[in-house]
Amino acid sequence: MVAIPGVFLRVWHIDSLGVNSDEAVYAGQAASLAGDPELSPFFPIFRAHPLLFQGMLSVVYHFGGVSTLAGRLMSAAFGLGTVVLLYFIGRLLYDRRVGFVAALIGSVMPYLVVVNRQILLDGPMTFFATLALYLMARFAQSLQPVWLYAASGVLGLTFLAKETSILLLGGVYAFLALTRTITVRLRHLVIASAIYLAIILVYPVTVALSGASSTGRNFLVWQLLRRANHSWLFYPSVVPVAIGIPVVLAAIAGLWFLRKRSAWQEKLLIWWILGPVIFFEIWAVKGYQYLLPIAAPVAVLAARALCAIPRRVSIRRWRLSGTALFLAATTVTVSWLLLTSVVKIMPATAGTAFLAGTGGVPGGREAGQWIDANLPKDSQMLALGPSMANIIQFYGHRKTYALSVSPNPLHRNPVYEPVNNPDLAIRHNNLQYIVWDSFSAERSPFFSENLMKYTKRYHGEVVHSESVLVDTPVGKVEKPVIVIYQVRP
Amino acid sequence: MRRRSRLLRGWTALVLLVALQIGLAESAHASPADTSAAARTKTATPIKHFVTLMQENHSFDNYFGTYPGADGIPQGTCMPVEPYDKDGRCVEPFRVTGRPVVDLGHTGNIHKAQYAGGRMNGFISAFAGQRGVGDLAMGYYDDRDIPFYWNVADDYVLFDRAFTSAAGGSIWNHFYWVTGSPGNRKEDALLTKGFDHVPTIFDRLQAAGVDWKFYIQNYDPSVNFRNPGSGDKASQIVWAPVLNYERFLDDPELRSRIVPLDQYFTDLRNNQLPAVSYIVPSGASEHPPGSIQAGSRFVRGLTNALMASSAWDSSAFMWTYDDWGGWYDHVKPPEVDKYGYGFRAPALLVSPYAKKGEVNHTTIDFTSQLKFIENNWDVEPLAKRDAAANDISSAFDFAAPPREPIVPSEQRHVPAPPAPATWIVYTLYGLALAAPVLIMGFSRLGPRLRQQALARGRS
Repeated sequence: MVAIPGVFLRVWHIDSLGVNSDEAVYAGQAASLAGDPELSPFFPIFRAHPLLFQGMLSVVYHFGGVSTLAGRLMSAAFGLGTVVLLYFIGRLLYDRRVGFVAALIGSVMPYLVVVNRQILLDGPMTFFATLALYLMARFAQSLQPVWLYAASGVLGLTFLAKETSILLLGGVYAFLALTRTITVRLRHLVIASAIYLAIILVYPVTVALSGASSTGRNFLVWQLLRRANHSWLFYPSVVPVAIGIPVVLAAIAGLWFLRKRSAWQEKLLIWWILGPVIFFEIWAVKGYQYLLPIAAPVAVLAARALCAIPRRVSIRRWRLSGTALFLAATTVTVSWLLLTSVVKIMPATAGTAFLAGTGGVPGGREAGQWIDANLPKDSQMLALGPSMANIIQFYGHRKTYALSVSPNPLHRNPVYEPVNNPDLAIRHNNLQYIVWDSFSAERSPFFSENLMKYTKRYHGEVVHSESVLVDTPVGKVEKPVIVIYQVRP
Repeated sequence: MRRRSRLLRGWTALVLLVALQIGLAESAHASPADTSAAARTKTATPIKHFVTLMQENHSFDNYFGTYPGADGIPQGTCMPVEPYDKDGRCVEPFRVTGRPVVDLGHTGNIHKAQYAGGRMNGFISAFAGQRGVGDLAMGYYDDRDIPFYWNVADDYVLFDRAFTSAAGGSIWNHFYWVTGSPGNRKEDALLTKGFDHVPTIFDRLQAAGVDWKFYIQNYDPSVNFRNPGSGDKASQIVWAPVLNYERFLDDPELRSRIVPLDQYFTDLRNNQLPAVSYIVPSGASEHPPGSIQAGSRFVRGLTNALMASSAWDSSAFMWTYDDWGGWYDHVKPPEVDKYGYGFRAPALLVSPYAKKGEVNHTTIDFTSQLKFIENNWDVEPLAKRDAAANDISSAFDFAAPPREPIVPSEQRHVPAPPAPATWIVYTLYGLALAAPVLIMGFSRLGPRLRQQALARGRS
């Protein structure tokens, strides 16, 4: 029952939009691992993150060929796995009913649904994080160290899915240190830490053995020195909406009204949430999907609150059936989430926000495929930003540079190659096309203006454009979102 | 219960199937079709657009003397500085990069002195009286200097027996290129009265209703044989022989076909590339001491634009050099008449039907291109030379489907990145994935095994 809306929301129109930049990179890495000759030149295996998900996807690509659909379905499968785990966590921490409601919330929650439909590392990372949460709960319940070891091992896998999950360690440490009823022997803690360390070492060891150490180091330096990309209001304004306002309210209400019944269960869930939230709120670089691992504990807390509605509720003179109230509250919450998810994944609305992690890019796939079918092989292009460059490289199989990539190594992602002198590159016929897109232009009007100068200076002629229908006061109007210019000296 | 779970499974499968179907639907794009008038003209081969470009002043050995598989500079070559001094100094071919280059002489007299009655040993002595030349004629370029041309040769066709039509300079050779004859039969010079008495390939094409154009880089319409211009402008009427004809200047229809080079790009974009296109450069001609890299980029721009157009699938782009420029070439040119052949010049063909990476050994000259045009569009030969010439069809493979355009790189031998050791990734990540499973397995099996051991101990 719970799985049906979960499956539907995760696969309905799943490939209606082309991949976004991050998806292109991860699918491209998987394709390179699988030895795909068309994508290997553009997507080196070692770029930024560990390769657990890309490695698994590469096995699929190896036997079934490269397809975005396969990548997205694999991500969706991890998402459904998270839903199943939510049931087991709810059942373990409270009872079967909480497990059922938590899974129901998880299956329709827009945050999980939207990210699970994309080839992103955050879906698999959240799956492993949720599994680790379950194992930690088993440990807290039984105090058998083997569950702690298993949790450490899975937390290691969480790191190998995406290294930012290392922040969960903070929550685990706080939980173990601040929960009096949970006692851990130092020996067990040392063994658990050793297991974690042994597993996460896979990342640097593979990088070093493959001779790509400098890539990893450069990326780390760049991450540490990156400029802020969002204000501190970003998460408060985005994440509660993505999780679902009723879910957040229910979780908070539950924590308040049921505070007297609170035990280690709530502490575990709260610390699981606070670790990443505190770090990413302070950290300058923010991303929509970075807080996805908190979705699972929030869902469980909300389910706990909904299921705690007493059998009979008296409000002044009104006497209500608690069961009806529980059903009504759950129905409203789930319907809210379901509607929000449907709106977010409908082809007409998906991808219009162009917030990284929220969906595909309208027209990106079509533009790339047009390039692949119509422009000479080995021709080279200049896009506005690296996001569009990744998409063009993925679908168009043409080397695409980005104007906004800084020539200063301290100010750019080290995997991106700058064009130090675009004028010279065009004059020398090393760049034959310019790709302008409205999404990048909206984010960086300065570079958009500069890019257009090159089209004017070098006889730019539009050879192709992709448009979307937008609502205007005079009705629906086609608005070009991607324009490809041919340029020549 | 079982029935309900079957129903659920059925629903899930249906949802998945529908979603997969939706997900798999992709939009398809077709290449733009070639709708030009030329595409509708009947031809003997699949080539509907023939583009020919004439660059300036390089011998085959000067550009491709070290190209693998071509008839290049023989081992042990050493050109005597003084051919009649048997014990005198000789100069081996050397890479000219880094040395100042001058415009070597390339007149009929220089050709004759270098040819030296067939001994082919006058390449240095021919310049004995000229200051600043020295042994420069023995210089050559290689793929470090002209990587694009070498990459083109790797992917398409390089002719290594392409001779200049006349043992002389630019005027005779350019006239052979468009008329199959030297034009001025007395000397390698233009006629002040023009050349209206010499038929051109454009007359033939015009009469046959075949679309053609003559594209001129930096075209100045005021410069023609009536007003020859001076300085660099003067070369316009040498390199574009049609500007020496009354009829091509005065007939609005014919004149409209002589256009600036920008029109080439416009025509490509608008699906209007004619059947036959002649192109001459201006600043990017590679004429020494001009930059050969600038010339290479110029050619690359022309071929890139063709590759990006709808005309590509039925096109052929050939370029060659109007004379040898005074540079050394080791192949003695065959004598076909009193005008030529002259020394070899580089000639390359880019076409979707060109054989891949072929060094073509067919003996050709500039009139071979005329021969191809005449055969392809079924027009009469212009003169004895083009009637007797080999055409260039041996460089094509019309049995194969047209090749996809590939833009040859401006870099040579880009080192491939080292193949990553993917087995390391699979092995280590696989072990990491297995570790928690093993731990959990142990959590189940461990107590059971301990109990079994205890039981064994008791018994």
